[in-house]
Amino acid sequence: MRVEKIESLLRKKVSKNIVCSEFHSSIVLEGEVDKWDDVIRAGKLAADKGYKGVVNRIRVKGLEIPKMKSPTVRDGSLEGKKFDVLIIGGGIIGCSIAREISKWDISIALVDKEEDVGTHTSSRNDGVVHPGIVPPPGSKKAFYNVRGNKMYTRISKELDIKFNRKGSLVLYDSVYIKMIKPLIIRRARRNGVKVHFLNVEQAKEIEPNITGEIRGAFFLPDTGVLSPYKTTIAYAENAAQNGVKFFLETVVKSMEVRNGKIISVDTNRGKIYPKVVINAAGNFADEVANMAGDQFFTIHPRKGEEVILDKKKGWLLNSIVSKLTINRRSNTKGGGLIKTVDGNILIGPNAYEQPYKEDYTTTPKGVDEVLNKHLHTIKGLSKNDVITYFAGTRAATYEEDFIVEKSEYVQNLIHVAGIQSPGIASAPAIAEDVEKMAVKVLRNYMLVKKKSNWNPTRKGIPLVNSLPYEERKRLIAQNPDYGVIICRCEEISKGEIIDAIHSAIPAKSLDSIKRRVGAGMGRCQGGFCTPLIMKIIHEESGMNMLKIRKKGGESYILREETKNSLRRIKAKEKSGER
Amino acid sequence: MKSYDVVVLGAGPAGLAAAITSNENGSKTLVIERENKPGGILKQCIHDGFGVVRFGQRLSGPEYAYKFIKEAKEKNVEMSFSSFVTKIKKSGEKFELELVNSMGMEKVKTKSIVLATGCRERTAKQVFIHGSRPAGVYTAGTAQYFTNIMGYLPGKECAVLGSGDIGLIMARRLTLEGAKVIGVYEAKPEPSGLKRNLIQCLDDYSIPLYLSHTITKIFGDERVEAVEISEVDKGMKPIKGTEKIVKCDTVILSVGLIPENEVAESLGLKMDPSTKGPLVDQDLMSVNMGGVFSCGNSLHVNDLVDYVSESGEIAGLGASRYTPVRKTHLIPLNKGKNLLYLVPQMINVKSKNKKVILYFRVKSTTKNAEFMAKLGNREILKRRYLYLRPAEMKRIVFDLPSDLSDDSELSFEVWEVNRERDHMHSVSQRMRVKNR
Repeated sequence: MRVEKIESLLRKKVSKNIVCSEFHSSIVLEGEVDKWDDVIRAGKLAADKGYKGVVNRIRVKGLEIPKMKSPTVRDGSLEGKKFDVLIIGGGIIGCSIAREISKWDISIALVDKEEDVGTHTSSRNDGVVHPGIVPPPGSKKAFYNVRGNKMYTRISKELDIKFNRKGSLVLYDSVYIKMIKPLIIRRARRNGVKVHFLNVEQAKEIEPNITGEIRGAFFLPDTGVLSPYKTTIAYAENAAQNGVKFFLETVVKSMEVRNGKIISVDTNRGKIYPKVVINAAGNFADEVANMAGDQFFTIHPRKGEEVILDKKKGWLLNSIVSKLTINRRSNTKGGGLIKTVDGNILIGPNAYEQPYKEDYTTTPKGVDEVLNKHLHTIKGLSKNDVITYFAGTRAATYEEDFIVEKSEYVQNLIHVAGIQSPGIASAPAIAEDVEKMAVKVLRNYMLVKKKSNWNPTRKGIPLVNSLPYEERKRLIAQNPDYGVIICRCEEISKGEIIDAIHSAIPAKSLDSIKRRVGAGMGRCQGGFCTPLIMKIIHEESGMNMLKIRKKGGESYILREETKNSLRRIKAKEKSGER
Repeated sequence: MKSYDVVVLGAGPAGLAAAITSNENGSKTLVIERENKPGGILKQCIHDGFGVVRFGQRLSGPEYAYKFIKEAKEKNVEMSFSSFVTKIKKSGEKFELELVNSMGMEKVKTKSIVLATGCRERTAKQVFIHGSRPAGVYTAGTAQYFTNIMGYLPGKECAVLGSGDIGLIMARRLTLEGAKVIGVYEAKPEPSGLKRNLIQCLDDYSIPLYLSHTITKIFGDERVEAVEISEVDKGMKPIKGTEKIVKCDTVILSVGLIPENEVAESLGLKMDPSTKGPLVDQDLMSVNMGGVFSCGNSLHVNDLVDYVSESGEIAGLGASRYTPVRKTHLIPLNKGKNLLYLVPQMINVKSKNKKVILYFRVKSTTKNAEFMAKLGNREILKRRYLYLRPAEMKRIVFDLPSDLSDDSELSFEVWEVNRERDHMHSVSQRMRVKNR
């Protein structure tokens, strides 16, 4: 469709104030509308109409969308530094790419604006490694999902992460399923995914506690679950072991592009000179593309909320259970109940469009929606079992497919964007392809050789509480700290926390320790262990107690010393005061 | 494998009392404590008011605990600190526990167990507060640890949600340390804490208490920046249009305590949904697993430590006397409509212990209240109270009637007595009870 035609369509269907134009091979929407839904509608209508992508710059009247949150640190520690490859973004995509490229004997830097890797979308999802039945055949999503899913068998061993491939059960309560059954079989065959149809009894053999009116189920044996943040961290640590430099609390502010080539990338820590840039900036990938003058897509953050239940109830579920809803418009697989690798039941997510990329606030409406929809699927669950809930945003483009490609207009830029679900499942496969792309580009500028000493294996922090008796005993004999329980709800030892503090990507904050070892994740939500973990951070890294943070930015836990703190008393004694 | 008569889990006020009693009664006793020091939560309770009932003194928490710690040490009660129970199971007539500590792993055997594991605080998420997840949201107990044990002030401008005792005490403590407490918000129409704490902690420091108010949203990405306060209706649902945004840097939560009974649950003890502790008889032994006793705040949440110690002594004695051949016949204590809970929940008719110490709470505030126990239709106990409040636990000691038999019916009622028509009313109430 020509630009004029799309414009008149949008004017007719959404708002008269919309203006369309072309930029490179994409269509640009501008103007002002009354509500965010109109922005989304316009973007969706313009998608897949013959242009490569939609750049949606339509604004909502009176709505100010806050700028990306940036670290407050300013220093020149990176000024003038040269790297062969610069990866922007430390989510699972950036970190898995970093790990794959670290096979090559080149200098690699990864920057992320947060104080740890995997703090945004990569830690704000349910960790399901989807089998790949949902994405349309021929899409990048389908291609990477199915391949990535298979790769996790190997990757999980190499990176020493828990990966449970127990399959997923999709229940249905309607006779209509008979009509779509051939479609499911066809889709499964085209995407290369296994599927089995089960009757109620067979379904109950897999999940004995399912209740409600069920007519049958289909079972996807390839579905797996992992911890998305632990996987991201594992990738990052393996990359760091293999020489990738991680610069955290480092944000990209602008780029200098000359003759279709990125010359330099300006950050809050100085100007970096990379040969190749990989845009893996998640929700902000469109803004990074724009810095390089190559924006051909727009990320519209689709928010979701998820609920976590007490481990006590974990035994009620073995794998993943969801209910089939026949709704074509839905952009999520509808959510469900997931047994996490840590043994909790996780419920969710829902999905709704909203304008804020970093708004992780939860709402009573969202959490209730999730609970009301799924809680009754399993007998024995109640609202009292909720220990916490969280929100995340999906980095969706209007085309609703992944972007994994070398820029058409900037010779040393690779975009890896729009990686929403099934992003976790796809990451290993995407990383392999991006590695090849990056090396190909790099070969235009230099000679690239493989490392002789690349180490694909990374050893994780021992999961002390799940070790057999004798093994645990032996470990404690080697290091008594593994016998000192700090987090009583999750049974996490001091030794594990110390390991997290000294790991390849060191944990400095409470949340980063929580993501690595699970301390503070249980039913008391850190009520008992927070002060103890702070003491360990202080002892291990020498950090002043007042400087210890929950996460990045100004998230300090404590304000000041009390009037009669031990330090003040000692200081007084020293100066002879009473 | 080491073998004991009694293993006590927890060295707080309940566990220490239990261990001292069982040790004194001649049982080989071991106390297992997950922290590195005895005393439990008392270690951080530096305010006074502990021990008024027991010692007739207003002690601080550490002072109160020290009395028991000293006694336990003098009497050589064996205690294992920084030790954590990882597994517990019944093995024949005994129990087998698996422990972990810096020395390694250890297995111990015991004839009976006393659960004195205390309680934990309900969190922001368990009362369904929404918004962002910044630093600066702490339970009152965590804030107390920061302030009293570590010597750090967690915030300068604090909003306190919930009027539980620890919340009130922390409102005062933070004020004394120079923080500003902007208010205590309580969703219920009446305060949850003890009257004396309302006066001594809030009134004396001009800290406002807002009843029927709650925090509906937390603002701030990194550190708390503000909270949204809403009025709530009788069903404790926020009323639309009453939202007010108040600036602060800290939210302190005192929204209830939950007995820690993960060990009890792993043993399969039957639980009372209203106390969230195990169902017990008058010796504080589990009704469905002989040899397992419960006391203190893991049995039910107490207001006064004096009663925590008392229940520890009952459980300690019971555990010490326990033999697997002990005879049991249980009859329930039927509780009337206005009673929130009764502890014990059952009476073992066969137990030698004929003196029952009964703890109870009412569901709603009752003026001129009458508490009555009946055996069948016969009144065996009557008590008058000017006020009964859900926030205040009551204790009654009574002797079991000598004619108590295997099929006796024990029932308990509380009602409001109208002074003028006192007699008439109570008669009609009794009639109603009868008819039920």
